[in-house]
Amino acid sequence: MDIFLQALASAMTPMAIASIGLGALIGLIFGSIPGLTFTVALALALPITFSMDPVPAIGLLLGTYIGGMTGGSVSAILLGIPGTPSAAATVLDGHPMTKQGNASIALGTAVIVSVFGGVFSLIVMIVSVDLVSRVAISFGPAEIFALVLFGLSTICGLCGGSLIKGLISGAIGLMIMTIGIDTIDGVQRMTFGSVNMMQGVNLLVAMIGLFAVPFIIEAFAVKTSMPEKSQRISRVKAELPSIGLLGRNLWLMIKCSVMGTGIGAIPGTGGAIASFLAYDHAKRFSKKPESFGKGNIEGVVAPETANNAVTGGTLIPLLSLGIPGDPATAIVLAGLMIHGITPGPALFMNHAGEVYGMYVAVVLAYLWVLGLQLMGIRLFVHVLKIPRELLAVAVLVLCAIGAFSIRNSVFDIYAMGAIGVAAYVLVSFRVPITPIILGMVLGPTLENEFRTAMMLSMGDPAIFYTSPTVLVFFSFALLVIGLQAVSEFKAKKQPKNEVKADA
Amino acid sequence: MTNSAKDVALSLSLLALSAVWTWLVIDTIPTGWGHGDIGPRAFPMVLGIILGGLCILLLIRTYLLGRTPAGKAGTGDVDAIEEASSERWGSMILVAIEISAYGFLLQKLGFLIATPILILFVLVIHLRLRSWKTILGMTLGMTLGCWLFFEKLLGIYLANGSWFNIG
Repeated sequence: MDIFLQALASAMTPMAIASIGLGALIGLIFGSIPGLTFTVALALALPITFSMDPVPAIGLLLGTYIGGMTGGSVSAILLGIPGTPSAAATVLDGHPMTKQGNASIALGTAVIVSVFGGVFSLIVMIVSVDLVSRVAISFGPAEIFALVLFGLSTICGLCGGSLIKGLISGAIGLMIMTIGIDTIDGVQRMTFGSVNMMQGVNLLVAMIGLFAVPFIIEAFAVKTSMPEKSQRISRVKAELPSIGLLGRNLWLMIKCSVMGTGIGAIPGTGGAIASFLAYDHAKRFSKKPESFGKGNIEGVVAPETANNAVTGGTLIPLLSLGIPGDPATAIVLAGLMIHGITPGPALFMNHAGEVYGMYVAVVLAYLWVLGLQLMGIRLFVHVLKIPRELLAVAVLVLCAIGAFSIRNSVFDIYAMGAIGVAAYVLVSFRVPITPIILGMVLGPTLENEFRTAMMLSMGDPAIFYTSPTVLVFFSFALLVIGLQAVSEFKAKKQPKNEVKADA
Repeated sequence: MTNSAKDVALSLSLLALSAVWTWLVIDTIPTGWGHGDIGPRAFPMVLGIILGGLCILLLIRTYLLGRTPAGKAGTGDVDAIEEASSERWGSMILVAIEISAYGFLLQKLGFLIATPILILFVLVIHLRLRSWKTILGMTLGMTLGCWLFFEKLLGIYLANGSWFNIG
């Protein structure tokens, strides 16, 4: 108890509170601008922490991480362009809510459920850090492959009416991510001898292209061909979600928090897979599944709760085993080690004060995020008053900056344009583009884990059917595909029955 | 173009793409070493074949069985494009040119010169805006605002030109 009180005192100093707030603000800004990730923000924030005490320093990094994870939802909801891959699922219902004039409710709900998910995962982490880390570390390549395959099966729920087109879209996403140098054998794949292509297609560049460029093209086209339709949404309200609305979604929030924490604890997974799985789960168990994609608040609650619950989950292997789950937590790990805190089994014996200080810092970071975002909503929604075509010009410049800054390469701007134009063509042929993102997010992990598993088993496929965990995930994947096929069959049958009844 | 015609065109184009992709993969990427080494060729090749198979399924479904999948471009995606007018295709080509030109100008002239050129071009030529207040406000505001915020405040490198280098 004494150690905890000491930690509380060190985390509640004005310096610590201010540095956590600064981190949350930097994270929110970087997370909300497509292309500028919180990983970049963390890399920029790391040198600032060198001269600071451990708790404010780690608080700054954790604030940036948490702010970035939450900030991705702002552009996803307002513009339909996810700020981070974790916010890609939030676009599906968040942006339609904006079109209906409910942007502030979507934004408010997103930040409140994010805080819920984050704090929930922190509590889970504190209570079960030892148990969860032992379960998570038992996941080998075969288990992660099966989990990712289960994640891919959610494509079925994102098809927008045509399973075949959704699968085509997912296959295109998986194909794009095979371009570049193969990470296992170091062989060039589909690079055509270009140095730029050797790095492959960056996920963020592709995401900006897929979501932002079609938005820009459409805004410009509507302005030039139908000027009367080009006015932006005029009904801009700045109201917050009611307690009743949050209460009705409490059970969904708890389920998605558990899902996000569990997925976050498995190294190499992350927020994107958690948010897509949570979205699919919410849609499947909703009383109104048909309203998903048209502005159902549950479609915002589920992914935003899950992707923020990942933050606590990723800290489990980070603190207990010293394994960072993603590039962002790798920078947090670097920050810990710079300040003489070496994560691992001995962490709680050697640095208990600092660890408790980190727990308090996470809670403070979420409070900062909550305050900043709720205050900011009144400001954010006024973006919608800007005429759509002028907003598109600003988006064009910001996205080009975002794409360029990832690797300081103009090639990424060209790649963004090419992918965006291809996405526009696909949309015009009624092909959903969200499965492309899912394919791109999960593709590299799917391939690498499958190949590693096969190498470990010396080519024996038994590795995929002898592990109970693998079988459970395969069964889930089959169940999701089966349920989607049945619902599509029923949807086709329904009009025929209606015709018969009319006759 | 009717929905069925669109689906036939889509499936044939992607079928051709998958055939070229698979051929290039087989031609340029080596296989694995065996004994469990799956090799770098396997995944792209299988994905090319899967894409081809799905396109054939879509073609059969649309062309032979006469069924066109209902549904929009997909939940939450950019608004389903109801009518593919010539203005839309024209706008798409112009945006592609603008992005390419911006990339080229960034490399040669740097952010501070390339950005106002892009914004002016988009506002005056593409959007045919005639309000000079808006044009000047957008051009100078976006350029200087982004430069001050990203380069000076956040320390993010914005492109310097190889022909000119200001800022």
